[in-house]
Amino acid sequence: MPAAAAADNAAITRGAYLAAAAGCDQCHTDSKNRGAPYAGGRVMLSAFGRIATPNITPDKTTGIGAWSDRNFGQAMRWGIAPDGTHYVPAFPFPDFARLTDADLADLKAFLDSLRPVTRSVAGAEGLALAERARAAIGVALSDEPRAPGGSAGSGDPAIARGAYLVDAVGHCRDCHTPRTWLGAPDPDRDLAGARGGIWGGAPNITPDAKTGIGGWSTDEIVALLKEGITPDNDFVGGAMAEIVHNTARLTDDDRRAIAVYLKTLPPKAFDKSR
Amino acid sequence: MRTLRNAFVLGGALAVVALLSTGAPAADKDQVIKDRQAQMKRQGGDMGAVKGFLEDKNDLATATTKATDLVESIKNIPTVFPAGSDGPNPEGKYTTKPEIWSDAKGFSAAVDTAEQKATALLAAVKAGDKAAIQTAFSDMGKNGCGGCHEKFREEIKK
Repeated sequence: MPAAAAADNAAITRGAYLAAAAGCDQCHTDSKNRGAPYAGGRVMLSAFGRIATPNITPDKTTGIGAWSDRNFGQAMRWGIAPDGTHYVPAFPFPDFARLTDADLADLKAFLDSLRPVTRSVAGAEGLALAERARAAIGVALSDEPRAPGGSAGSGDPAIARGAYLVDAVGHCRDCHTPRTWLGAPDPDRDLAGARGGIWGGAPNITPDAKTGIGGWSTDEIVALLKEGITPDNDFVGGAMAEIVHNTARLTDDDRRAIAVYLKTLPPKAFDKSR
Repeated sequence: MRTLRNAFVLGGALAVVALLSTGAPAADKDQVIKDRQAQMKRQGGDMGAVKGFLEDKNDLATATTKATDLVESIKNIPTVFPAGSDGPNPEGKYTTKPEIWSDAKGFSAAVDTAEQKATALLAAVKAGDKAAIQTAFSDMGKNGCGGCHEKFREEIKK
């Protein structure tokens, strides 16, 4: 194999792993109606309205096959489509803004390697103009894409990797962090659970002893990510059951990194009003 | 086990009759929900025992007994969800989704899936190969237990 082709294959393999970890296919596949993977069309009810996810296969007209690397980066990091319209942050671009350039390139290489599927999706159907305007303001006011947060700077590579998986790739705060009025995750309540949010809320995953996962061992967090099993032998349902399909595709090391990182977060009590 | 199962079926049938004929007195409904949760916890315990075997915390005989119990218990799931037994569990953490009854076909299919996966898990446990048990355990957890919880159980946001 020529060196260039081998390098491409390596990029595609890395991109496939990232896509699986982020669960791109979960939202961008209309599984209910046996739609092709990544061809979009899944209808999702969000706080912003009814959203049909776009086709992200490399079809030139109905997918993202005509996108340049720059178009892709702008969409992933800033939520801005090539035609200049803004996505609502149901698409977790505020988290994907933290992806490294190399990972973005690998993701694009993977998506470009997919079989193009022609499928038009009316993505913004019924989405209020006000929501789009709000999203645009949210983008305008948001920080420059940041490096992974939390205790990622402690020097422990497992913690740094966990932070990256939680903050960027896994976009955990999409559900586990309440939103500000602009629809952005509230940094003061990071991962401390949300009652509402975009997708209907999720529990506190900071290590607060009473309302979070402070009583969970690292192994118990790993087991949840791998099997969906809680310390009291329950199996998660709802949206987390879908997410476990993603985390189950991670390597054991990556699952452990997530667990180790979550345990280093500052414990916060769940705020019932958020 | 057979007797136990029959007792469950009989109990479930009686509960259905009671609910249909008397319009579900609150105390009876509470009991149905309590019994239902007890059964779910028992199934969780069965899965925990298999997990325990995978982690070398208990022996194959225990895992076999529990996996057998799991299959038997899952067959009884339809009887612990009689019409009119909707509502939160005793801790108020989860509640039933209306689809259990409005999409009875889908619910029944999800229970059948869980039973098939539990049966496959039991077969793997009986054969004793850890790698195969691990695979069947993951499948049962995510697509059996999790499959039902994903579609038919709702977390109560407090």
